[in-house]
Amino acid sequence: MDRHPPKPPPRGLILLGIGILGLLAAFLLGLRPGGLIPNAGGLQLARSFFSAALDPALTREGASLAANATPFLEDLVHAALRTLIFAAAAMSLSILAGLPLGILASDTWWRRSSFSNSRMTAAARAMQSAVRIGIALMRSVHELIWAVILLAAVGLNTFGAVLAIAVPYSGTLAKVFSEMLDEAPRHSAKALEGIGVRPLGVFLFGLVPRALPDLVAYTAYRFECAVRSAAVLGFFGYPTLGYHLTLSFGDGHFRETWTTIYLLLALILFLEWWSTAVRRRLVS
Amino acid sequence: MIPSRPPQAPGEEHPEEPSRRLLWISGIGASGLVAFAWLSGEINVSGFFGADRARNLKRFLTEDAIPFPLREDGFTWSGLWTWVAGHWNAAAGEATLTTLWIAVASMALAGAGALLVAPWVARTISTREPFLQNGPTGALWIWASRLARLICILARALPEYILAFLWVAILPGSAWPAVLALAMHNGGILGRLFGETLENLERRPLQALRTLGGSRGQITALAAVPVALPRFLLYFFYRFETCVREATVLGMLGIVSLGYQIQDARSRHAYDDMLLLVGFGVLLVLLADLTSHGVRIWLRREAPR
Repeated sequence: MDRHPPKPPPRGLILLGIGILGLLAAFLLGLRPGGLIPNAGGLQLARSFFSAALDPALTREGASLAANATPFLEDLVHAALRTLIFAAAAMSLSILAGLPLGILASDTWWRRSSFSNSRMTAAARAMQSAVRIGIALMRSVHELIWAVILLAAVGLNTFGAVLAIAVPYSGTLAKVFSEMLDEAPRHSAKALEGIGVRPLGVFLFGLVPRALPDLVAYTAYRFECAVRSAAVLGFFGYPTLGYHLTLSFGDGHFRETWTTIYLLLALILFLEWWSTAVRRRLVS
Repeated sequence: MIPSRPPQAPGEEHPEEPSRRLLWISGIGASGLVAFAWLSGEINVSGFFGADRARNLKRFLTEDAIPFPLREDGFTWSGLWTWVAGHWNAAAGEATLTTLWIAVASMALAGAGALLVAPWVARTISTREPFLQNGPTGALWIWASRLARLICILARALPEYILAFLWVAILPGSAWPAVLALAMHNGGILGRLFGETLENLERRPLQALRTLGGSRGQITALAAVPVALPRFLLYFFYRFETCVREATVLGMLGIVSLGYQIQDARSRHAYDDMLLLVGFGVLLVLLADLTSHGVRIWLRREAPR
């Protein structure tokens, strides 16, 4: 053990560095305060867009409508439901893939004993590193880029949209799960090991249950993120809320756009309230 | 139906019925939603594994995805390198760096905004007698705090991509839309996290300063924020990772960065170029991950948990 405590990092300097880098970035990007004032066209668009905010559409705007078209609100609620469906399907796949990957990426799994910090064998370290690299690659590609790759590779297909969300989300869940498993309290594992339970049993019944509240709380939060991602996938032709948002905005039907925005906001705010409520009950 | 539980399960003597009920409902609701999602017919699994999709995939992997100069002449390391370096020098390098700078600029903006909002969010500061009382008092202060929280919630509720989409229409032709969208979303997240950190600070030293006659602003700026700074920085670098990842896609809306080039390559059906650009994005994100991981470990050496 070190007798002298380590020197605290110079936080003021870090703060200054962030400020300087921020200004440098703004300079390199050519960002000027004047650029924040929209030109005449932008101003007019902004005016008509924001004036539509208080008057969201309840029926379709525009005259040229087929007589048998689905009513606007029904269409929109269906899109919201699809957004939820894509998110839920993607999360179910992510949990199925993320939990085993997270276990394989944790230190605890590869150590001989679940609670002591015994060293890993070289082979174990190599396997763990391979899993960790795979996880990092999965989540370093954004879900929209996965969507674009899958569009190019197989074409437009709703399961492709689910996969596009599920791949990076599995990686994120795996990473966070592995950290939570490594930080879970060890008492139960120690007790089980003391009475001669095999390592697998110690892991599954001594450690995983202790980490479970954290895992569930984090998964609930990720579901909220998945709904956002599913909504945005609509920009790539999938029939979620983003699809209606970009279409109505492109047509200048701003009142429809606002209805879509309000519905998405309501969905996300509800899920945020829910995931916070779940977290508060699970994590002290 | 909620399954009945044994009358006296261990550890359940405390009256926590309502809280348990929400968990049960959530669990059943979530399972129901997942089952409904797969059975609704909205997700076309069999179509994805159909013969024509398989043919597409095969062509993509064996032809389209192979770097163009290597398709006919066969694989050589030097050929691959010339191809990669050529793209980096042509446009990909600049696009990658632009992506990084967009993330840096928006995080700096988000951090500054969050620092300004955080004291209003903190109910120990945004109250009539700061640091001294247990609950918030003063109607005006209570509403100021609620308003600050509402701003944070609304700023982060919509996805960055949608925010950027709207900003692009109003402010076309610069990097501002991407920066504003990322700064809003992250500023909302950081604002609330910073505010909660300030609220949970050890109260007694701040109370001592208050009884010595320090003003609200003085104590906040010179005592509370400096004490909370390590936590603030941890949160900041945690968000920086995510922000870089998000910045790679905002270019798809027309801001000349990685996403723009990826979209461009895709519309030219140059899938080899597209995958190379995705690769540059992966490198950027991994580097940002590594950097912020390193900084956070360094910060943790002293940061109170």
